Amino acid sequence: MKNNFKKNYRDIGTSVILYPDNYINDIEGEKIEEMCEDFLKKGFKTIIIDFSGTEIINSIGVSILIGIIERVRLNKGIVFFSGLKKINQEIFSIVGLTKHIQVFNTEEEAVTSAKDTASQMMM
Amino acid sequence: MKDKLIFPTCPEAEFFGRKDLISGLCSAATEDKGIAPGIFLVGRYWVGKTEVLRRVHNELYWGQAGSVPVYFQLSRSKDPAAFAEDFLRETLKQILAFRTRTPELATHEVSLERLEAELEGDEEDGLYGFIKRHKEAKRAGDALSQLRNALSLPCHSSKAGGGRVFLILDDIDESARMRLHGTTVLKEFLDAVGRGSTAFLASSRLRRIPASGLPTGAIEINEMSGLGEEASISMLTELCRNYGIAFDTEILRLASSRLEGNPMYMKNMVWAARRSGGNFETLKDFVDLYAVEVTEGNIAFALRSLISLKGQSGLKVLNHSSRIATDASLEDVTDRLRLKPDEAAGVAEDMASRGILETNLGAIKWDGDTVTKDFVHFAYETMVRGKSADEARTQLVREWLKSGYSLRSVIWQGRLKSDCESLLKAFNGQSIPRVLFNNRSFSARCKNNGTARKNLEAISEDEPFLLPQIVGTFDTLRHEKAEAPPIVVAHGFQNNRYDANNEVVWLAGIKEALQPVNIGDIENFVRRCAILRENFKTTRIVRWMIGREGFSSEAIKRIDAEGVYSSDIVQLGMIKSRLEEQGGKTTPAAPAGPGVAPIKEFEVILPSASKAELVAARAAEEIGTEMGFDEHAIGQIKSALVEACINAFEHSKTRLGRVFLRFIASNDRLTIHVQNQGTDLDRLSGKGAVEEASGPETMPHRRGWGIELMRGLMDEVRLENIRNGAKIVMVKYLIQKGDGSNEKQF
Repeated sequence: MKNNFKKNYRDIGTSVILYPDNYINDIEGEKIEEMCEDFLKKGFKTIIIDFSGTEIINSIGVSILIGIIERVRLNKGIVFFSGLKKINQEIFSIVGLTKHIQVFNTEEEAVTSAKDTASQMMM
Repeated sequence: MKDKLIFPTCPEAEFFGRKDLISGLCSAATEDKGIAPGIFLVGRYWVGKTEVLRRVHNELYWGQAGSVPVYFQLSRSKDPAAFAEDFLRETLKQILAFRTRTPELATHEVSLERLEAELEGDEEDGLYGFIKRHKEAKRAGDALSQLRNALSLPCHSSKAGGGRVFLILDDIDESARMRLHGTTVLKEFLDAVGRGSTAFLASSRLRRIPASGLPTGAIEINEMSGLGEEASISMLTELCRNYGIAFDTEILRLASSRLEGNPMYMKNMVWAARRSGGNFETLKDFVDLYAVEVTEGNIAFALRSLISLKGQSGLKVLNHSSRIATDASLEDVTDRLRLKPDEAAGVAEDMASRGILETNLGAIKWDGDTVTKDFVHFAYETMVRGKSADEARTQLVREWLKSGYSLRSVIWQGRLKSDCESLLKAFNGQSIPRVLFNNRSFSARCKNNGTARKNLEAISEDEPFLLPQIVGTFDTLRHEKAEAPPIVVAHGFQNNRYDANNEVVWLAGIKEALQPVNIGDIENFVRRCAILRENFKTTRIVRWMIGREGFSSEAIKRIDAEGVYSSDIVQLGMIKSRLEEQGGKTTPAAPAGPGVAPIKEFEVILPSASKAELVAARAAEEIGTEMGFDEHAIGQIKSALVEACINAFEHSKTRLGRVFLRFIASNDRLTIHVQNQGTDLDRLSGKGAVEEASGPETMPHRRGWGIELMRGLMDEVRLENIRNGAKIVMVKYLIQKGDGSNEKQF
């Protein structure tokens, strides 16, 4: 299963960028969850999930994402969202998730912020 | 002179609805097709057969010269010999009266001796010989020879020149009761006219005419029932006006139905109203008059004479027969009523000859009308069961009033359907105010205006609705075997474009009853439409519910949710008048766009499969795009729909349960129904998510966001328990592209 995601992430030092599928449901959500666990185990502290290729996130997908955020926090890590379409941003807003994570318009903005955060953590 | 009546008829002002029949009979009498016509006019007592026959005679007497009309009315008690003499005398009189143009001769009492004296020495046409032979047979006591001599006179006269005799025989069935030496007068008559090719018109109460002796092709049987509804109402209206009796047209319609268009009954009811100072303004007014008239008035007197009951046995047989709808074995009736077999058989035969019972192979069946049934029941209750006349009459009134209301509905049965079909056929791309298809808006408009509906001229300025061009209509009898209120199917094209994309089917459900359309009617209509649409290839289905008495508030809510058009009788009338104003003109093709498109419906059935909800989302995207929703709204609809589908699958009772989707795209909104075969609403409601949602510092609750997301993304979300499942109904209002605001367009 992990192999399926080899092309769906990008490692940038201490951060990793995940590129979920077009539709995040229970199956896709669990894949992301597994990847996050793997990366946390490998010592990555910042996980950027770029949703620019994601059109629909269902409520099960949302619940899994909430679980991911909780898990990353437990590991003293941080999650950034980027590239959210307006509808998905609205969905996260409805469930109150946007209050708990930083959302960036683009992957680049998220990466820059992640690097800044990593620098601060190093210091 | 031409208007002078030879045989008496009712005043012209009281004669309705038979002119075409009379004209047709006169034509048949005078046309020479090489074969003498034999016409039977068959109908119940007092439907006006005698009146028609006499008017035919009058028309023929004054209106032409080729046929010699001879009118003869048979009576019940004549013996064959007496009949023969009467027939001979009357026929001779009328032949002479016609030849000499002396109408008085036809009606005045003239003895056979006087006729003999008149004809003596005039051997040219042989008429004198008939009197001579008659007297010889009479002296010899040979009744059969008298009969055959008399019956052969019309044929002989026709052949001898001086015009073909056209016999007009009233109540010919009476001749079947006159027996002589193993034959009947009827048989002898048919033999005579058959042999001599004599043209005749004969009335009969009996439907089965033993006309086997006549040449095939010469016989024509015309069934004559009561006057039709419109003719009956015209007659009652005219009579009421003439006698100054107040009336309501609906009550007259009710009366005409109850009296089955019988002119004698209708006249007597009006005369009864005049005598008693009554009227026909309310149902009770009519029923009160009716009860008196049928139990002790002129109608009762006439029925008593017709039935001529002797003893209680006949009454028991009649009452029993009138209460059962089907044939009954005479043997069973005899046992049940504890009668002697001969007694029961005698009653049955007698009543059959009077047209009140029908007998066939040992079975009897009621053949009388409703008024006779009421009379018989009243007589039975008083004479057999010993009730007082007042008690029995009260019972009649009570039962009548109870059934009267439903009868009013029955009267309307079929009329609204017919009106609706006509209206749909008149749809030809015209533009009609949209409010005429929306009963809620229409009713609100009336209420807000504080005026009567007839003052709603202002609706002409309402938002226009472009009608389709209907190419044909039919009902759903072929598609639906079960009896149900009618649905009219109308096929047509939208926007004046004759391609598959613009093909449309209108399904018009009709509630004719005098109660408002209720929620059950709507659910039933929607269910039937869903089944019916399987028969139509087009994806554009427009559902239109029409209720004579409008709609209940619950029904209106359901109609709005279902996207069904709704009109009451007032709206229907306004649509009709607007179509008439436009004279069937087609409105030029409008540019395609959300403003002119009619309601469209699409149905999708999702199997229980991975990511099946994406199919629904894809459908929603296509429909939403066509409707003009912007990208964000489409995203909202898709996400909400995905949630609804997941919920529906999750709560299906069956593991392989399918989810049924219906998209209703109307001009101002998209309504989506998501239905499963599963659980109740409590499980769907997903209350926990919000209530247990954490504060700003803690993470949101993980599960149970489905319903909350739907509510957040759509404008309306409703959860409904339905039979064998649950349904989510979601509505998204249309926002114009580029508008950018949340303000609803409509």
